[in-house]
Amino acid sequence: MEANKSNIVKRKERKEVFTTSSGIPIKRIYTPEDVADLDYNRDLGLSGEDPYTRGIYPTMYRGKLWTIRQFGGLNAAEATNDRYKLMYQMGVTGFAIAIDDASLLGFDPDSPEAEDEVGVGGVSVFSLKDMEDMFDGLPIDKISTAVIQAINTTCPHTAMYLALAENRGIDLRDVDGTTEGDPCSFGGCMDLKVNPAPVRQLMRLCGDLVEWCAINAPKWHPVSFTSYNYREAGVNAYQEIGGLVASAVDLIEEVLSRDRGLTVDDFVPHYTFHLASHNDFFEEIAKMRAARRMWCKIMTERYNAKDPRSKMLRFHIQTAGSSLTYQQPLNNAIRVAYQILAASLSGAQSMHACSYDEALCIPTEESALLSIRTQQIAQHEINVTNVVDPLGGSYFVESLTNEVEKKAWEYMEEIDKHGGFVEAVESGWFRAEVEKAEMKREDEVRSGEREVVGVNCFKMTEEPYKVSFFRRDPQLVEKQRAKLQKLKEERDDREVEKALEELRQVTESGENVMPAVMKALKVYTTIGEISKVWKSIFGPIVPSGLAMTM
Amino acid sequence: MGKIRVLMAKPGYDSHFRGAVVVATTLRNAGMEVIYLGGQQPSEVANTALQEDVDVIGISTLSSTYMEYLTELTSLLKNKGIAEKLLVVGGVVIPDDVPKLKEMGVDGYFPPGSDLVSIVDYVRNGVK
Repeated sequence: MEANKSNIVKRKERKEVFTTSSGIPIKRIYTPEDVADLDYNRDLGLSGEDPYTRGIYPTMYRGKLWTIRQFGGLNAAEATNDRYKLMYQMGVTGFAIAIDDASLLGFDPDSPEAEDEVGVGGVSVFSLKDMEDMFDGLPIDKISTAVIQAINTTCPHTAMYLALAENRGIDLRDVDGTTEGDPCSFGGCMDLKVNPAPVRQLMRLCGDLVEWCAINAPKWHPVSFTSYNYREAGVNAYQEIGGLVASAVDLIEEVLSRDRGLTVDDFVPHYTFHLASHNDFFEEIAKMRAARRMWCKIMTERYNAKDPRSKMLRFHIQTAGSSLTYQQPLNNAIRVAYQILAASLSGAQSMHACSYDEALCIPTEESALLSIRTQQIAQHEINVTNVVDPLGGSYFVESLTNEVEKKAWEYMEEIDKHGGFVEAVESGWFRAEVEKAEMKREDEVRSGEREVVGVNCFKMTEEPYKVSFFRRDPQLVEKQRAKLQKLKEERDDREVEKALEELRQVTESGENVMPAVMKALKVYTTIGEISKVWKSIFGPIVPSGLAMTM
Repeated sequence: MGKIRVLMAKPGYDSHFRGAVVVATTLRNAGMEVIYLGGQQPSEVANTALQEDVDVIGISTLSSTYMEYLTELTSLLKNKGIAEKLLVVGGVVIPDDVPKLKEMGVDGYFPPGSDLVSIVDYVRNGVK
């Protein structure tokens, strides 16, 4: 029997129109007609084969389970070390350092700007000493680490970890991990005020790390393009991956423009990506599959890449923090589990499961444990890891993958019309897009069109669950200031001066800064001292007047 | 009576601006005049509140610094003689801390997920 539209009987349904979270209309049922144009070999292929829609490796989770990489960092390095040891015992297979706002912005604990920022949003990491304390007793030769959100400090925070590894006798060529210092990801969606250097300077520093790692630390992923941040700030699924690919392309152009002999196949195989796994289950699956196909297409068609690894979109997912609710917080555990399931059906390489209390505070030990167990249950109990791309071939999922991809390409074209991603960020256009999308989402929540359990439906006047809360160490600033003081007494200041002078010279001359940064970190130069050099060359903070486009 | 004037800020360098922007946009759409400062130190917020003679100060917080920040801000507002201005906090506050904020001089608190219309109503009623 032929399944076509004429067979679909009109019936009254709950709504006039059903759509995905990003507004793509959804039919009642999908049939072969919806994927009539699909060419199996061209559009899907096997896993591990061009265009990688079904997965980047032939065996996927049958060969290796995804990395359970929980993002964490609290108070001082010593407290974070305790938490990491606990998480390691619980079975995490990768670390991800949440660094505090002070260090990420290049302020030492004794700087007046850092007064209220030490230990906020993560662990205070201002020198190699903190990195040593944080990983004391942890087997960094066996477990990989991600240095997260180091946008302004991408080179020094990475260098700290690499210096730690070298000091422990690990060959740089064997150090495994990722730096997530996507140069656009603050300016793209957050207050531009917090960007201590213009986006183009951040592109330069990130480009330096990409170049240097390609030659010196080939197992290190020097950049992870973080569309997660745009998504969290408001954009929808197809805007997320349109922005993702556009931003990665701009960094390819940045590195190629230096004309220092590197081809795309020298550095793109080390790129990684960080996507959101949000709560529209099938649209998220379609998004992740579409992103892989887009990346393969662009690397093949625009860059003529030869190394298959240049065409593989390796990605980490984080469940959507913005989907978590303050109300009835235990419900968040269920949201997280569904989002983890979506990512495990989509072939992510690594995952962070948010914790149920994250709409309230930094996760407690109890909630962090549940996040790890959520992933382990998905990996070991429900058998979703037995097969690659289980939804491949579904009329609905394939049709939605096509639709999301089509819209993402259109969105990329729009970004191109605004001069490419960097330009679109610098001009504030992308930021306005983010705000527009977020207001639309808020309107949908307010009208009830978008339902959020416990917020605009199934509300309760009394909170039904008791949860405990994490609190920051109130003495942390003093402790970190004392640590800084001690560090400065014990190190060789002449070595530090020399290293900073060399850093100034290479930054001004346009040479790659990484050798100088590595040298500086090894003699215990601080993040504040390095940032001061760059701020003096790259100029002042972008005025806060740009912080909102409305 | 002229337009209600609102100052909207966030503590320090925290970059989670979504709530602040959404509320600022909503108040502006409701006919208020909104000065959006973004992330600022308490002194900057208090100075601007005085200079711009705003009726309402909105603080959106998503980091864990609200206690220290609001302690400093409320004391600065008192010193400047503008403690009577409507001080509204939105965002993530641990529920146990809400009464402490009220004691400190915070007039209203709106957790994440609050109905935006209720925020507009609260500001309108609070200012008159």
